Amino acid sequence: MASFLLIRLLRWTAGLLLILFIAYAMMYYGAGDPIRMMFIQGEDFDSEDEVVMLALRKKYGLDEPFLVQFGNYLSNLAQGDWGRSIRLQVDRPVIDIVRFRLPISMQLGFAATVIGAVAGIVLGIGAALYHNRWQDRLTISAVLFINGIPVFVIVPMLLYLLVLQLKLIDVPYGWNGVFHIDSALPIAVISIGILPIIVRQTRSAMLEVKSQLYVRTARAKGMPESRIILRHMLRPVLTPVVTTLGLIMIGLINGSLFVEYVLSIPGFGLLTIEGIKKVDYPIIMAVVVIGTLIIFISNFLVDIIYPILDPRVRAQ
Amino acid sequence: MSQANARANVSRVVDDGSVFMGEQRNLWQDAARRFRRNWLAVGGLLVVICFLFLAAIGPASAPYDFLEQNIVKAFQGPSAEHFLGTDDLGRDVFSRMLHGARTAALVAFSTTAISLVIGVLVGAWSGIRGGLADEFLMWISDLIQAMPGLLLVILINTTLRRPIVNWFDALYEQTRNPFYLNTLWLDYVLVFSALALIGWPGLARLVRGQVLSINEEDYVLAARALGASEAHIMLRHVIPNAMGPLIVAVTAGMGGAIFLEAGLSFLGIGIQPPNASWGSMLEEGRRYWQIFPHLMLIPAVTIGLVQVAFVFLGDGLNDALDPRRNS
Repeated sequence: MASFLLIRLLRWTAGLLLILFIAYAMMYYGAGDPIRMMFIQGEDFDSEDEVVMLALRKKYGLDEPFLVQFGNYLSNLAQGDWGRSIRLQVDRPVIDIVRFRLPISMQLGFAATVIGAVAGIVLGIGAALYHNRWQDRLTISAVLFINGIPVFVIVPMLLYLLVLQLKLIDVPYGWNGVFHIDSALPIAVISIGILPIIVRQTRSAMLEVKSQLYVRTARAKGMPESRIILRHMLRPVLTPVVTTLGLIMIGLINGSLFVEYVLSIPGFGLLTIEGIKKVDYPIIMAVVVIGTLIIFISNFLVDIIYPILDPRVRAQ
Repeated sequence: MSQANARANVSRVVDDGSVFMGEQRNLWQDAARRFRRNWLAVGGLLVVICFLFLAAIGPASAPYDFLEQNIVKAFQGPSAEHFLGTDDLGRDVFSRMLHGARTAALVAFSTTAISLVIGVLVGAWSGIRGGLADEFLMWISDLIQAMPGLLLVILINTTLRRPIVNWFDALYEQTRNPFYLNTLWLDYVLVFSALALIGWPGLARLVRGQVLSINEEDYVLAARALGASEAHIMLRHVIPNAMGPLIVAVTAGMGGAIFLEAGLSFLGIGIQPPNASWGSMLEEGRRYWQIFPHLMLIPAVTIGLVQVAFVFLGDGLNDALDPRRNS
C-alpha cells in the first residue's frame, strides 16, 4: 500500500514538473515579451525606450537564458516566492493577488459542490430506485440536457430570463460575499456543471448495491425501505462517488473560468483570463501551478481515501 | 463482446442462405433497432444532421456576405430583409450564423480526425508493445487527462499564435509567396491542434484497452497460431471490435470540440474577428444584451441546441452499440 502511494506520488510530482517546464517554455518562446507589450500597447509607457526596457527586463529576471530563468523560478517557488505581477497589478507580489482571488473561487466552488453533491446524490438514488421507469428516464434525460448546455450559454440565457423578462433580480456584478444574493446565480450555475457527474456515479452505484444479497435479506426481514436505504445502501453508494473528486474539481475550474468572466467576479477564473490576456508570466505560471496542483492533489487524495472507505480495495 | 461476435457469425450463416432460423439480425441492425427506440437520440441525430447540412451548404447560400457591413442598418430586429436581424456593424446575423456553423463543423471534424489518428496509433502501439514505451505514453496521457483541459487549450492558443505568425511573416519576407501573407486561417489550425492535443488520450486509452482485452481471446490466439501478423489482427479483430466504443467516443469528441471552440472564441482566445464563430458572436452580442437581447440569444440558443443534440446522440449511440446491455 505504502509503495503504491509512493509510486503515485512520484508520478504526479514528475508530471507537475513536466507541465511547469512545458508551460514556462511556451511562455518564454511563444507568449511574447511582456515588457515590449507594455510599450507597444502604450498603456504603461509612451515610447519604446530600449534602455528602460532592458532595465525592466533585468528587474523581473527576464534577461536570463531560458534554463536559468526556469531554475530561478523553481527555486523561488520552493521558497514560497511566486514572483511579482508584471502588468496586471504592476509590481504586486503574485502571492498577494492569489491570496485575494483564490478564496473567492473556493467559496463559490465549495457552496456549489455542497449543493451539487446533495442534489446529485438524492437524484441519483431516486433514479436508481425507479430504475427504467419514467422517473428514472426523466431524471437521466434532464441531467443529460443540462449537462449539454455550456456554462457560457446558460448564464446569458438565465440573465435574459431573470433580469429582462421576469425582473426577479438585478444584474449580478462583482463579489459581495458568498451569502449575498448576487452569488446565487454563479453558485447555481457551477453546481449544475458538476451535478451530472454525481448523479451518474450515484445511480450506477445504487443499481449495483440494490441487487446485493444483504439488501434482499434486510428486506426479507421486514425492514422499512427508508431504513434499508439509509443504513445499508447509503455508504456503499457514497464510496464510489468519492472517486469523482478529480472530475468535480475540473468541473469547478471550468465553471469558475466562464462564470467569473461573464459576471465579472474577481476570482481565480477571471485572474486566469486577465493574466493570459496581459501576458503576465508570473500570474500565468501561478495559475498553471495552482490549477494543476488542485487536480493532482485531489486525485492523490482519492488514492489515499478510497482504500480507507472500501476495504475490498485495501485487500488487493 | 464475444456474445456480439457469436451473433454476428450466426447472421453471416443466414446471409449465406444455408441456415434460416426465423428473423435474425446482425450487430448493426440490432444497434439501429435499439437506437430508433430512443426518441431523444433520434432527435439529437436529426439536429446534428441539420447542423452539418447547413454548415455544408450554408455559406454558399447565405443571403449576404458575412463580412458585409452596413452601419446605417445596425441593430435591426428580425425582418423579411434580414431574417435574424443585424448586429452592431450592420452585418446580417443569419449569414454570420451560417458561417459560424461552417467554423463549428470544421473544428469538430478536423479535431476529431487528428485526435483519432493519434489516439489509434498511440493506443495500438502501447497495447501491442507494452513495456517502457507503454508506461511512458500512458503517463503522458494520464497527465493530459488529469489537467483541466480548458486551461491547457487557453495556454496553447495564446502562446503559440504569435511565434507562428512571426514565422509566417519572416517566410513571406524571404519568399514573397502570397500564401504566407494570409494568417487568418492560422486561428483555425491553432484551435484544431490545441483541441486535438487534449482529445487523443481518451481514444488512445480506449484502443489500448481493446487491444489488451482482445489479445486474451482464443480466436486471436488461433489466428496467431495460423501465422497472422500483428497488422492483420489489428485490422481484422481489434478495430472491428472497438468500432462501437470508438463511434461513441468520436461523437462525444465532436460535441466537445464544438463546445471548447465556442468557449475559447467566447473568451476572445479562439477564432479571431472578422472570422465568424458562434462563441465570438455570443460574446459580441453580450455587450448589448439589455437593449438588443436577440444578438445574444440567437448564438446562445444555437450553441445550446447543438450541444444538447450531440449529448443525446452520444448517449443513444452508447446504449445502442453496447451489446452487453442487450435488452
